[in-house]
Amino acid sequence: MKKDRIYIVVLVLGIVYLVLAGRLYYLQVKKGDYYREISTKNYVRLYTINPPRGKIFDRNGILLAYDIPTFSLVALPYIVHSNYEMQHILNMLKDTLNITPSQKVIEAFSKGLITKVVVAQNLTQEQIESFYNKFYLFKGFFIEVIPKRVYTSYAKYMPHVLGYVGYPSYSQLKKNPYLRPDVLIGKSGIEKMYDDYLRGSPGYRAVIVDAYGRQKEVLWEKQPKRGKDIYLTIDARLQKIAYESFKESGHPSGAVVIINPQDYQILALLSYPIYDIEKFTKGMSAKEWNQLVNNKYKPLFNKALYGLYPPGSIYKIIVGLGALEEGIVNPYETIESGAVFQIGKWKYRNWNPAGCGNINIEQALEMSCDTFFYQIGLELGVDRIVYYTHLFGLGEKLNPRIERKISRIPSPDWKMEVLNENWFHGDTINLSIGQGYLAITPFDAVKIISPIANGGKIFKPQLLKAYFDNKENRLYTTKPVLIRSLNVNSFYIKIIKKGLYRVIYGKRGTAKILRDTPVINAGKTGTAQVSRKKSKKEEKETKWELKDHAWFVDFYPYKKPKFSVAVFVEHGESGGRVAAPIVKDIIEKSVIEGILDEDI
Amino acid sequence: MKIYNQLNVFKNVDYVILIPVIILIFWGVINIYSASINEYPNLYIKQIIVGIVGIFLMLFLSTIELRKLINISLILYGIGIMALLFVLIAGDMVLGAKRWINLGFFSLQPSEFMKVLVILTTAYYLSDKKSPISFIDGLVILLIASIPAFLTIIQPDLGTALTIIFPVIFIIFVYGIKKRYIFGALLVMIILSPYIWTHLKDYQKNRILAFINPEKDPLGTAYHIIQSKIAIGSGQITGKGFLNGTQSKLYFLPEQHTDFIFATIGEEWGFIATITILTIYMFLIGRILYWGIKIKDNTAKVVCFGAVAVLSFQAFINIAMTLGIAPVVGITLPFLSYGGSSLLSFSILIGTVLSAVSTFRKEKIQF
Repeated sequence: MKKDRIYIVVLVLGIVYLVLAGRLYYLQVKKGDYYREISTKNYVRLYTINPPRGKIFDRNGILLAYDIPTFSLVALPYIVHSNYEMQHILNMLKDTLNITPSQKVIEAFSKGLITKVVVAQNLTQEQIESFYNKFYLFKGFFIEVIPKRVYTSYAKYMPHVLGYVGYPSYSQLKKNPYLRPDVLIGKSGIEKMYDDYLRGSPGYRAVIVDAYGRQKEVLWEKQPKRGKDIYLTIDARLQKIAYESFKESGHPSGAVVIINPQDYQILALLSYPIYDIEKFTKGMSAKEWNQLVNNKYKPLFNKALYGLYPPGSIYKIIVGLGALEEGIVNPYETIESGAVFQIGKWKYRNWNPAGCGNINIEQALEMSCDTFFYQIGLELGVDRIVYYTHLFGLGEKLNPRIERKISRIPSPDWKMEVLNENWFHGDTINLSIGQGYLAITPFDAVKIISPIANGGKIFKPQLLKAYFDNKENRLYTTKPVLIRSLNVNSFYIKIIKKGLYRVIYGKRGTAKILRDTPVINAGKTGTAQVSRKKSKKEEKETKWELKDHAWFVDFYPYKKPKFSVAVFVEHGESGGRVAAPIVKDIIEKSVIEGILDEDI
Repeated sequence: MKIYNQLNVFKNVDYVILIPVIILIFWGVINIYSASINEYPNLYIKQIIVGIVGIFLMLFLSTIELRKLINISLILYGIGIMALLFVLIAGDMVLGAKRWINLGFFSLQPSEFMKVLVILTTAYYLSDKKSPISFIDGLVILLIASIPAFLTIIQPDLGTALTIIFPVIFIIFVYGIKKRYIFGALLVMIILSPYIWTHLKDYQKNRILAFINPEKDPLGTAYHIIQSKIAIGSGQITGKGFLNGTQSKLYFLPEQHTDFIFATIGEEWGFIATITILTIYMFLIGRILYWGIKIKDNTAKVVCFGAVAVLSFQAFINIAMTLGIAPVVGITLPFLSYGGSSLLSFSILIGTVLSAVSTFRKEKIQF
């Protein structure tokens, strides 16, 4: 131990003591009166300065959403409480400003709550003027600028994609210390997925005000930062086309997903029916709201990303490729595929009672032959089917920002865990044609077709094409991210591709309707049974809920695909007759718009 | 005779240390009641319970020979490190940081205990080393502190990490390492820091920047410092009276019952109370420093100097923070702030100091 160092310690401690004591003396004795006045008269106010959220554009720069300023009358209830009789202030508000506060606000006033409340929104110029003229009559009230989200006409075709904004819930506030009760955040869709880009950060101003609420001195200020503008990968025109094509089909519910198979940029993402995005942001009556929530076609639910449905025969693409790669069947081999496939006493029927004949895999895809796929699926086995399914990226959040729900891909372990039952051959047979326990999102359906279109590559799906960094004044563009290659013999992918070509151009193709589109394309139909029980035929024909789901996945142009499409029609009955014509309509409209010729 | 013996056990306790500590704990409960009763009505009861446990813990530790306490420090240190690792893997997330282990009835914050365990472990290591200590010994005790400090920093919790590392630096300084090593270490740090900074990943930089400017609350700390200053200043000389503090209640002062308890005290009790508290701390620190100089045993010295370092660092930085003359780093005010882990760990620390004094007094009588 060194003496001199102890002296240093004692000296430092002494100085610290004197500094703190001196500071206490300064604050409490010398400036005590000043601080007492500020504190007792509530002369300090904290104002939030809300920055506008970032704008949202489509991939070509079409404006979809932006902010405009609105003026709100806000109040600090505890000041109102201590200055006015309730009836008096209610009369004042009514007479001077023609405002009748809600029950919630009145309650806040009578309780004298500390947190500020919004008394009235969207003040008119007149109201603002009369408020400022009689400012002294409204202690505890002030006007705040609050940005409001506005959506353009193109935005109305994509309410699920854009989502909506709102004030954070109590639990969100608790979880995230950066949120404030009076700052808007994204609640769903893009607004939520990219909230951290769009939100910006609010500014604050702590000021001392006089008895009339006039600002006297700014104590401290923090400037707001406006949110970043973002450019979606969505093509607003294509989104509109997808909406119109679906609408014209006359079916009440479904989804359309269009991506570029070369980089998995999402070009259109429709969940049908849509809801009125404008009404939604303006606020709606309880009746309208109830109608929306109780609508049996679930307009608020984003089916494209979060709905789970059995895929039916579109799944044969994966089973077929797996069987080729594993040598279960070779491309030229023909297999006798009749009307029924029998194993033990169990019979599994082909959808077409005529059977398929002695056919190879291309033909099997062409006519969507169930009995062919029963045989190769059974031989491939459930484990390898599941392996190839995961390889395609189904049941996986390739981009966790976008995908939240994952498809249900059954396996023996899954069945044991969930249903506590053994896995039977029958389960594998059902799985081979995309039936049974399998359920996928329409978004995953587009993941089935895209690697066939691009030659076996899986990319990270993107909704964000670019964002503008205000600080650096520069546009950042999202680059394609290759997640993996299928690592499958490319010749086999070509065989599947040819099979899908035959679905449209073959003699016994299930989607021959797409033949006369102006662009060569390839695809696969799917008609998925919904009810596992054998319901009576008449009932099935009349009851919407019991009808089969209709699917169609497609890519075009055939040589150098730029678009892959998945159309899902909930209880649409037939992939070939219902879903395929929607794709046809989308292609034709795209040609008219000139979208097909553009570089994307 | 038997009863006499039992009382005799506490004969050597240094009440000059114990009584001010009890006053601080008592004073803390009263102000926690005032600061938190509206928001969390049961908080002060928890503090009373932990306070009583703490007082008994101090009395109990004072009866145990210092060497026995120090001998188990290494084991406790090991347990503490594991607890810190456990927190990082499975701890409870509160306000964006993982610091607590949830025991159901009590949330344990291992990093709080670690700062005491580091001092005890250092005392154990230095117990047979002569002053001035060698360069290697300096490095070893710095490592003892750095491991838990690092584990605490990545929680992230800079404030507590600083309270873990500071006592060891203080001990090295007082204990007398050669001057050239001190300057050498400073020089190396200054030269290396830009190099390390440029090699950090972006998110790591952001974390460190967030420490320096911890926006624990979305308003940024500047606004709260204003409110804290107004609260303390408006207390004037005699304060607004118990439960009458408006500033700290109406405008939400963040953590008014934990890190900003001094603002509540200043507002409700005024200059008379604040200067008294400041003086009590100074007195307590002075007394422990006195023992550190007087007792010749190395172990006791390290314990006392460590206690001086932690107490002065936390008390003065915390007070300076509420007065708006130090950055907000998120450390508690010893014995006054709400927080079971903080109160218990300080009780253990003071208990060990009391043990050092009793042991010294006993041996003096015997010889």
